[in-house]
Amino acid sequence: MREQDQSPRLTTQGRRFIAAGAIAAAGLLVLAPAAHAQDQVPAVAAPAASGDTTTASAVHDPIEGFNRGSFKVGMGLDKAIFAPIAHGYMAVTPKVVRTGVSNAVYNLGEPNTVINHVLQGKPKRAMRSTTRFIVNSTVGVLGLFDVAAKMHLPPRGADFGQTFGVWGAGPGAYLYVPGMGPLNVRDGIGRTLDIVTDPVSLYVGGFSTDFGKARTGVTIVDLRAATDPAFRALDDAADPYVTTRSAYTQYREAFVREATGQAEDLPDFDAPPPSPAQSAGSVAPKQ
Amino acid sequence: MTLPGSHMKNTHPTRRGANAALLAFFGAASFAAASPALAQNARDPGAEAFVQTKAQRVITVLANKGMSDAQKKQVFHQAVDELADVPRITNFVLGKYARTISPDQRARFTPVFRTYAENVYQSRIDDYRGEQLKVTGSVVRKPGDVIVNTTISGGQLSSPLPVSWRVLGGGQNWKVVDVQFKGIWLAITQQQDFVSTIDNAGGNIDVLINQLQKSGSGSSGGKR
Repeated sequence: MREQDQSPRLTTQGRRFIAAGAIAAAGLLVLAPAAHAQDQVPAVAAPAASGDTTTASAVHDPIEGFNRGSFKVGMGLDKAIFAPIAHGYMAVTPKVVRTGVSNAVYNLGEPNTVINHVLQGKPKRAMRSTTRFIVNSTVGVLGLFDVAAKMHLPPRGADFGQTFGVWGAGPGAYLYVPGMGPLNVRDGIGRTLDIVTDPVSLYVGGFSTDFGKARTGVTIVDLRAATDPAFRALDDAADPYVTTRSAYTQYREAFVREATGQAEDLPDFDAPPPSPAQSAGSVAPKQ
Repeated sequence: MTLPGSHMKNTHPTRRGANAALLAFFGAASFAAASPALAQNARDPGAEAFVQTKAQRVITVLANKGMSDAQKKQVFHQAVDELADVPRITNFVLGKYARTISPDQRARFTPVFRTYAENVYQSRIDDYRGEQLKVTGSVVRKPGDVIVNTTISGGQLSSPLPVSWRVLGGGQNWKVVDVQFKGIWLAITQQQDFVSTIDNAGGNIDVLINQLQKSGSGSSGGKR
């Protein structure tokens, strides 16, 4: 509402940000009730109706059939394209070079990190990330060297998905998008905003520029190389789809908790959820 | 992924910056008061000491370059018994099926899971090849149920890797039941993996046992 008061002063570019804000707000409205419900869950694991999920890792996956199909396509794409490229990259570059590339990719994302620290109401973190960006972009040779970390300014990531989480949004439905990997509604909207409002692509160059294309390419290869251990772990999984879903969900929730400082809600280790028969029929006898 | 940004590149940066700052300001203003500092529970020195000693031992073994893979495997096998509560974990990963598994199935599942888990966990820890473990703190969830936070550094790690250990017990008898890194609890993930596999087999636990047996016998899982 406040935004509307300001609209006369704003240019079309400004409106884009408002639009972005509106998308964010809409997203939050949709997701807020779920988040609220989660907040209320006490530390003691209350078995869900479905039986098998724990409070720490309950995943809402209403389009599992579609997602499983997407996952198959995504893994096929990975085997055919991304894995060979990443493995080739890992074979021809020493670890130092890959670390440098990772640093540079992270550094380009730092302005977006600052925006999110501010949106989360964390001025100290925002200042730290700003300093990191300035130091690493200059002394750190365009971000190749994380000089700031050695000055006791370790990286603290933040993105819009995390910001929505801090604002109270739950993850929403799980999604698997080939080429983008695992997502959920909250982080999907978040990632779109990360891209649309990214200061570096706005000021230095977006995807239409050579810089933007190179950046995107390098980011993808770097990400795939960095997640290679996770891909290898999937080889051991009995159900790789569910393992991916579970790991991604936990990873993102931990990332949100990192910003909120909230304690994790873990399942009771010794009380298995009700058996399938019990949960289908009457209520579990325990309690 | 960067496509949406492409049509917005040559615009007026100053005004946009101002707008972004404005948006940021309101965001910050309205949410500054929203993060209550959560009171953390007390630490547990006993649990911390246990993890420091036993987990460090496992890491030292796996980082030892002078030891053959076969030797490492054997030492790891022994170290697991000292470090982890294997029967408890075995029961936990079955999720709701822990209530319905037959004694015969349990007798088959137990050794198969043990072999499978040792292979998997060894290669997971091996992926990161750190050398020093340092306890950074712990949180008592309730008496006898503690999360011990550590960082692992050195070796192939370019920056310290935070790893948390969930330990149950008390006094001199602590055991690890789950390990978390990058926010992901291994036993919880394993439970979802297994339960889903059994679900998709129409509740037939044998299907999972056979599958694990197959991947367990195919040399060590995940090794290249």
